[in-house]
Amino acid sequence: MDLFLSMMQALGLLIIAPLVAGIIKKIKARLQNRRGSSVFQVYFDLVKLLAKDSVTSPTVSWIFSVAPYIYFAGALAASSLVPIFYFSGKGFGDIFMLIYLLALGRFFLVLASLDAGSAFGGMGGAREMFIAVMVEPALLLSMCTIVFKAQTSSLGFMVSNVMNSPFSLAYIFAAIAFFIVLIAETGRIPVDNPDTHLELTMIHEGMILEYSGRKLALILWATAVKQIVMILLFVVLFLPWNIVGAASLIWLFIKVLLVAMIIAIAETSTNKMRLFKVPNFLAVSCLLSLLALVAQ
Amino acid sequence: MAAEDLYYGMLLFFSTGILSVFLTKNNAKRTNYIAHSIALMGCVMAVLCAIFVFFLGELKIALPVLLPLGQMGIRVDGLSAFFLLLIGVVGAATSIYAYGYSREYYECRLPLMAGLYNAFLLSMVLVVTVSHIAAFIIAWEAMSLVSFFLVNHEYEKKANTRAAYIYILMTHIGTVFIIIAFLLLAVAAGSMNFNQLKGTLVNDFMRNIIFLCAVIGFGTKAGMVPLHIWLPRAHPAAPSHISALMSGVMLKTAIYGLCRFFLDFLGTGPIWWGVVILVIAIITAVFGVLYAFIEHDIKRLLAYSSVENIGIILLGIGAGMVFLSCQQRTLAGVAFSAALYHVFNHALFKSLFFMGAGAVLQSAHTKNMEQLGGLIKKMPYTAVFCLIAAAAIAALPPLNGFVSEWLTFQALLFLPQALSGIVGKIGSALLIALLGLTGALAASCFIEAFGITFLAKPRSKKAEEAVEAVTSMLIAMGMVAGLCIFLGIWPQVMLTILQKTFLGFLGIDLNGLTSQEWHLLSFAQGQAGGRISIVGVVILLLCGALVAYLLYKSHGRETNTAGETWTCGIVPNPHMEYTATGFSKSIRTVFKNIVHTYSETLVTTNENKYYGRDLFYHVRIQYFFVSVVYRPMNEAIIKTATFMKSIQTGSVQLYVGYIMFITVIVLIWSTRW
Repeated sequence: MDLFLSMMQALGLLIIAPLVAGIIKKIKARLQNRRGSSVFQVYFDLVKLLAKDSVTSPTVSWIFSVAPYIYFAGALAASSLVPIFYFSGKGFGDIFMLIYLLALGRFFLVLASLDAGSAFGGMGGAREMFIAVMVEPALLLSMCTIVFKAQTSSLGFMVSNVMNSPFSLAYIFAAIAFFIVLIAETGRIPVDNPDTHLELTMIHEGMILEYSGRKLALILWATAVKQIVMILLFVVLFLPWNIVGAASLIWLFIKVLLVAMIIAIAETSTNKMRLFKVPNFLAVSCLLSLLALVAQ
Repeated sequence: MAAEDLYYGMLLFFSTGILSVFLTKNNAKRTNYIAHSIALMGCVMAVLCAIFVFFLGELKIALPVLLPLGQMGIRVDGLSAFFLLLIGVVGAATSIYAYGYSREYYECRLPLMAGLYNAFLLSMVLVVTVSHIAAFIIAWEAMSLVSFFLVNHEYEKKANTRAAYIYILMTHIGTVFIIIAFLLLAVAAGSMNFNQLKGTLVNDFMRNIIFLCAVIGFGTKAGMVPLHIWLPRAHPAAPSHISALMSGVMLKTAIYGLCRFFLDFLGTGPIWWGVVILVIAIITAVFGVLYAFIEHDIKRLLAYSSVENIGIILLGIGAGMVFLSCQQRTLAGVAFSAALYHVFNHALFKSLFFMGAGAVLQSAHTKNMEQLGGLIKKMPYTAVFCLIAAAAIAALPPLNGFVSEWLTFQALLFLPQALSGIVGKIGSALLIALLGLTGALAASCFIEAFGITFLAKPRSKKAEEAVEAVTSMLIAMGMVAGLCIFLGIWPQVMLTILQKTFLGFLGIDLNGLTSQEWHLLSFAQGQAGGRISIVGVVILLLCGALVAYLLYKSHGRETNTAGETWTCGIVPNPHMEYTATGFSKSIRTVFKNIVHTYSETLVTTNENKYYGRDLFYHVRIQYFFVSVVYRPMNEAIIKTATFMKSIQTGSVQLYVGYIMFITVIVLIWSTRW
């Protein structure tokens, strides 16, 4: 039963993920005084790509064809672990499992980026791993505030613990720390620019440069799912109030929209930083997490 | 008793294996098959013996040898049986692998290698089973010496000889400390038998000295930073199946020694012991993986990664000791099972990758990743096995590496329960974060190791001509790869074994971990606890892949067009591919304070000025500990020696003069009292 519910949740998030991506794009366009494309444009793009044929390099091996599936499956499995509807703690995984499921997808995608033998792919892959190396400790540290308090790494218990504890300064520090991680992990400005195709700056886009058609659709969709997983984690762990009960879904959606708005504002008001400034950016996150631990 | 017969059988097989090479020395092919078959039988016996011990209880044999120093006893309790099982499983795989791999050595002293291989296995099983100090040290020395000869097997290469001598030097420094630790214990206990050493009453000061000696002594063998410098030299120098054994099993005998001391002989110590181990562990893990990542020789990369994994194992042991000091039995159980689970996992996936690297080395004749590439098409099966090993080392679910990583994370997460206050919280948060950093670096490192070696186009002629490894090598790798998957999906099997392993140690309680449903991995600590189900996650992953497949096929069949890789309109060639050096460049830049690198760009202008130039980019790494610890030490020793040389001129008259001088001084000094 639990398994079935988790799958349903994953499917729901799969369907809603492109919408959130579309909304962020729309808000960004509005902030830049553009009309922007429809919020459903991401769906149209995905459907278009799913109907297209692929062009595949003769250099690639089976890793190239398998990677999109694993990336997709990893993101979907991670999305089923986020505690949205049930707080019983009866999940199949905890925060570490979630992090490593995302790592599983990334592992294969970076391998695929090396597979085609182009310098762009390798550069994108190397940078992606570089950022992953910096993000991982920051992510775990920002979780520590809640994990130590709840004395468990189970996401369900963590959420119920945060809900039952008084609001404190520590959470604000931890929330900001996690937000920085969220930006880095979802490949947003100032860490990566999701809209660019300039070879000197692209990270995620460079990695998937060789993909086309249906495989590209799977990867883009999985990236959208990964983004919503990170946003939901932020919402359930740092803004968990009022999401249980009948009106919970509406509240949840409002909060996700709020976070989407913050991301869009952050993206329009800053510019992309140099790659080697990213460690400093994430070091800020680490320091905030440590401060949160001290303040707790 | 069956276990006893099996034990004798195992010793007999390994000894016969040593002798068999003398009988078959004229026919290399026959030596190969006979000696390695006997080793395989011995390993099977070791596995069976360990299983019998787990089910029937511990095995004790008194052997009437070694009389001057007391009776040599054999005692196989849970802890010994666990390591015996480890040697048996990995040894069986490497023995099968050796059938194929040894063909390289038909012209290169194969009988010697096969005999030493059996002796190596024999010495390792003795190390983990004897229960007498003198016998232990003899077995330990034998193990070091035999592995020294194996490292030095291809002594035609200068680098190998150098590696072997550094190895033997370092390992002896370690042995000195081990002997000191043992003798201090023996003096206090008045016996050299392991049974009587348990719970010996020594005063606290002595106990601390023994603790430190054991850490330094066994740490040298385990490859603890900064005592690791021999490891990345020695492991790549040995033939690949020996490297697999050395990395997978021999390092673990040091972990066995540490467990023996900490759990058995010394008893529960003060809390700072555990903290010391934790600090050493995290330094070892981070340095090991950083050096692994910037390496481009695939076997050296694997050796550095072994250093990292020893760090992760020690994290579990350190946390376990902290919990032991605080009488947290369940948490001690989690921490120690994390450590020993990782011991087994590392033995599996590291030996698997070493065997894969050996297959690559045999068919492409190079260990340098920059010259490899595209091997996934030439060696499809080897590639699959190496991919499994790489994913397991990167601790990705649902493979075995993830289970032990998860347990280690859990152990660290509960550290604040034992180390109260802000220091405990910050310390444990930092440990978790650094373990996360290690995990991510390990993932990058093995993406590099697999991606550069097996993917894209071949970067050299050698790589183009590579062929798939022979069947016996593939079977061996397949077995180990299967175990990696099995122990990842079904951790309860290993946890049951671990429960039996720790049965004799009262401070450790594994009941919480084992008495669960078969698919769960969970434990409870008061209100809280941890809980995951890897089977559940596998089902979720499969469903995800199914959804992806349905989406993929939603518009019917697709037509796939072949189109060259996009390289801005130039015809792609292997020089455009990313290299291992390039892949790790950004990490080198960020960690430049730890990893000093000097890069040199060599420019040769072509004769035709209009054509362009040849560029060679070369990176030299300066190792932090070599420049901080070892080089100054070396220089100091040489300086002292030079100074002594001026005193020691070789002239007899001068020496007589010295004696006179000393005598006068002694006379004056003695008359004053």
